[in-house]
Amino acid sequence: MASKFGLAGGIPERRVRPIWDAVDSRQFKAALKLCTALLAKHPTSPYVLALKALTLERMGKADEALSVCLNAKELLYSNNIFHFDDLTLSTLQIVFQRLERLDLATSCYEYACTKYSNNLELMMGLFNCYVREYSYVKQQQTAIRMYKTVGEERFLLWSVCSILLQAYFSSGGEKLLALAEALLKKHISSHSLHEPEALALYISILEQQAKYDAALEILSGDLGSLMGREEDKLRTQGRLLTQACNYVAASEIYQKVLESCPDDWESFLHYLGCLLERDVNLPKPATGEHTCSSCSVGSAMLNKTSLSEELVESRLASALSFVEKLQKSDSGDFVRGPHLAIIEIERQHRLNGKTNDRKFMEALVNYFHRFGHLSCSSSDVEIYLHMLSNDEITELLDTVSRSFDASSVSVKALGLTVTTFKVQELLGTFLSKSTADLQRTAKGMFETFYKNLPLSRDLDPQESMHGEELLSMASSILVQLFWRTRNLGYLLEAILVLEFGLTVRKHVWQYKITLVHLYTYLGALPLAHQWYASLEVKNILLESVSHHILPQMLMSPFLQQTASLVKDYLKFMDDHLKESADLTCLAYRHRTYSKVIEFVQFKDRLQRSMQYLAVKSDSVILSLKQNSESLEKVESVLENVNHGEGLVELSNEDNMKHLTFNEDLEARPWWTPTSSVNFLSEPVDEDSTPACFRAKVCKHKSTEKDGPKMRDTERKSLVPRLVYLSMHGCVSSLRETEPNGAVSDITVGEMRTLLEKYTRSIGYSMDDALSMILGMSSGKKSIKDFAPDIVSWMSFAVFINAMNLWSNESVIPRTDESSPTSWQIVDNLVKVCIEEHLTDANRILTCPGNNIPLLVQMVTEPISWHIIVIQSCIRAIAPQGKKKKKGGPSLRPNTPQLQGIQRSVQCLIDTLRSVQTWLSDQMSPEEHALDILLSHLQGTSDGPGQTFLVLGENPAAHASELGDLISKSLETWSSTGVVRRIVGAEHELLAEFKKMVDSKLKRLVSELASLSSVLH
Amino acid sequence: MTTIRRFCCDDLLRFAPVNLDHLTETFNMSFYMTYMARWPDYFHTAVNPGDRVMGYIMGKVEGQGESWHGHVTAVSVAPEFRRQKLAKTLMHLLEEISDKMDKAYFVDLFVRASNMPAIRMYEKLGYVVYRRVLRYYSGEEDGLDMRKALSQDVDKKSIIPLKRPITPDELEYD
Repeated sequence: MASKFGLAGGIPERRVRPIWDAVDSRQFKAALKLCTALLAKHPTSPYVLALKALTLERMGKADEALSVCLNAKELLYSNNIFHFDDLTLSTLQIVFQRLERLDLATSCYEYACTKYSNNLELMMGLFNCYVREYSYVKQQQTAIRMYKTVGEERFLLWSVCSILLQAYFSSGGEKLLALAEALLKKHISSHSLHEPEALALYISILEQQAKYDAALEILSGDLGSLMGREEDKLRTQGRLLTQACNYVAASEIYQKVLESCPDDWESFLHYLGCLLERDVNLPKPATGEHTCSSCSVGSAMLNKTSLSEELVESRLASALSFVEKLQKSDSGDFVRGPHLAIIEIERQHRLNGKTNDRKFMEALVNYFHRFGHLSCSSSDVEIYLHMLSNDEITELLDTVSRSFDASSVSVKALGLTVTTFKVQELLGTFLSKSTADLQRTAKGMFETFYKNLPLSRDLDPQESMHGEELLSMASSILVQLFWRTRNLGYLLEAILVLEFGLTVRKHVWQYKITLVHLYTYLGALPLAHQWYASLEVKNILLESVSHHILPQMLMSPFLQQTASLVKDYLKFMDDHLKESADLTCLAYRHRTYSKVIEFVQFKDRLQRSMQYLAVKSDSVILSLKQNSESLEKVESVLENVNHGEGLVELSNEDNMKHLTFNEDLEARPWWTPTSSVNFLSEPVDEDSTPACFRAKVCKHKSTEKDGPKMRDTERKSLVPRLVYLSMHGCVSSLRETEPNGAVSDITVGEMRTLLEKYTRSIGYSMDDALSMILGMSSGKKSIKDFAPDIVSWMSFAVFINAMNLWSNESVIPRTDESSPTSWQIVDNLVKVCIEEHLTDANRILTCPGNNIPLLVQMVTEPISWHIIVIQSCIRAIAPQGKKKKKGGPSLRPNTPQLQGIQRSVQCLIDTLRSVQTWLSDQMSPEEHALDILLSHLQGTSDGPGQTFLVLGENPAAHASELGDLISKSLETWSSTGVVRRIVGAEHELLAEFKKMVDSKLKRLVSELASLSSVLH
Repeated sequence: MTTIRRFCCDDLLRFAPVNLDHLTETFNMSFYMTYMARWPDYFHTAVNPGDRVMGYIMGKVEGQGESWHGHVTAVSVAPEFRRQKLAKTLMHLLEEISDKMDKAYFVDLFVRASNMPAIRMYEKLGYVVYRRVLRYYSGEEDGLDMRKALSQDVDKKSIIPLKRPITPDELEYD
């Protein structure tokens, strides 16, 4: 802040500094006192007022702060102020920004700039205001004014960036690009350019307009020297030449790049593409799209060349000799690029029709001989492996396996062993192996890991263990065995393997993430949550990694923990979206123009995040769930979100079209490639080939955007508003004495529109949906057929009942008196759905992937909404009845309705009691549950539980070989302990759920009592 | 095979395999973005053929006169891509930029005194412990300030170790 002193609105620095110091050290009371004292001396100083506002805002007194700011603003606008400095304005700006009134800050600067038209500092302040408001046109105009005032290059570039932002975010890009080019061209002709970033921007503008030759000319001229690193310049030249179809020159340039950076794979592909005279579309995932790396890599360079076969062969031959030269010049053994390049060249031979398979195979074998011990060697060559036939794969694996002694204990042999397994995993070979083979393989992997553990004895505990991947792979095979046999023991074993690994090294995040999913699936959510918490996911990782836990938590009874996850995520996103523009200002100030554009685009990407949109609704729904038993609290939750109107608006068609998907799905286990898919819940498709399975996984990842998640998000965004409308509709309908229109802003029409949208998201029209719930509640339609969306169907019935209460015409067509009322439809549906799930759900202990999350959702969503409707109805009648003055209307209005409500309450009570009883039955004593689970691990010699036989009685017995650190950590290992924790966690989940059911029952019983008193 | 390029915002959404490592701190957004905005040449990522983030280095250049130097703020590699000298390649890049583009005198970095694997790696790369900073990490663990002289520092003055440890408030830069 030191630079800010001196011209402080005419106030001596020594008087102002203590205030800033107090604010900086959070001594707000002291700061306020100082402000008041200073104001006594300078009552009309806008600067002192701004400081006071700043202090007030920090103290959380937003209203007072705003009023003081407005006071200061008024003074600034009056004509008696002489000290119109940036310090005052920037201080006010800070406060306005924190009060989310950017418009006021902007208008202050606008006024100041009109008054002092050539003040650069004020104009820069104004420019920043427009940056914060994302007003690109005004930014551009302001920057041009600054440029005209002082003629500095940076201001011209500020203006050019603002133009490019307009081009990016609106139509008419071509004209705008031409304008940006013209501005730069004119400046260059008179002043040249002096900043590397300015040059890069100029080149990119030319490139976007396909003016490659012009760009190349600039790059090879004097300005080219601005590029700091020669390689960067060469890469740009290569790119431009390729786009200009000057392949010969481009390939020569890329050769130069490769000579200095032989490992630069992207340049190699460009080089090869140029030799073969075709465009290389390198896999660049489109912003915000999920792509499957193994598919997208494979598609690169697949398009055929137009060159003749002979020419292709001769070009490939020259590429080969160049790459061989690169190989020879590498002294170390770490540059993999030229070696992989040989494989790529051989692949091109294959694509060109010359199926000289031996060479392709030879190249792969050579690669494994050289780099096979590295962790990444199998994924390096993944796309090439997929081109091999089954026989070739067998041959490759045999050759690699023969090349080392797998029984020896050495880092290199271990690395190669891991790679041979990984190749099989990547290719899906395990899918087609027999159960016995798989069991042997899993056991073999664990054995190899344990046998080689002494290799890690001297490693620092922070370092990763040698052969770490073996446990991940063994666990994955065990999950597959479970999938195939449905034998719970395998699933437990899969968990044990990873828990064992974490006992040796407690920081292996890959194990933890798999465990998160395994425990979720097993119904031991608290353990999943614990492991997730140990990953300490924060900041931007909240956007890319939360998908591992959030969806499960949202369906769980752990509302408080879920609320905290949701809160952290939203806080991160909201904070970033607020501060992002300040960082764009920083990029402008430091003349990093490329990042200016990037920052704005990135902010846009996050703002349009699918997860962000979904969690905004989740957060409100969660608060409603947490408070559903108190109408006052429900009302206050809804009031805070503008009665749900904003959320409905968020899911409008336009917004839904442009969502981004920022989750990093790579680390998810194979059996749950996205949060809405779990293969373990489906039967195994015995006939599926590895390739088919891979394609299925890719499809799930890439269609997420059109998938169920999207429709869920849309539907969720409607719920808070529907709950609000339901509550208020009831009130208006039951207060018969009040004139119609007491809640005139709420119309049946709005509710209908929302419900139409709601049913569309389940895939039905409103009319069809109505007949569906009629069918379901009367038992004519099977609940199972509607399984994935059953909770939404139940909620729909609840909302329909609420709407029916206050609609003049019955929403549900009733044929005669015996047709069910809307209350009865809800009652029946709730009863049928819950009952069906209770009979269906086996003991949760032994039945993973059970129905608990669905049951929890039924209770926390539709049933909660229905209880809210019931409470609203009762409140509409009861208190009013008591307060009625003499001679007023009947104390018991609308008796049939009340009886309907009473029956509904009774039905909910009965249904929830059956849930309560079921839950109590599930919670068997711990020791008993433990015995049941352990029995799954002590099967026959060909069942689960084999893996751990390797350890014998005491895993830490070979202390001398394992070293102190490892043997000490292994002393704590107990597989029974792990299983015991699982039992405990499942119990915790049930107990939490039961608590929730208990409290709902209590509420309902009390409502029943008050209803009885009104009715009798 | 590795492509090394400037780190960009989108990489923040794909660097989880690197940052889930317990020793790699995930900073707040303004931290990363400030580095990108101020020292874009000091923030690089290495990507594999599938454009997956293998690792990254972030740093800055600061100081005055003979203490004008490059600084390594973070360098980290995902487990799958370790043990192939990727960190070394990234460090060399930062050193080259400090040396050739910015004519800095030395490059420095801070490391937890307990992080022996990292200390050994830096030593292999030519860094020496210049001084110990007492309770540098969250007021608990000591940090080691390690340095490597660049070509500007002909007499290698910048790396003559200090005799005594210092406290964090004696540090010249944040």
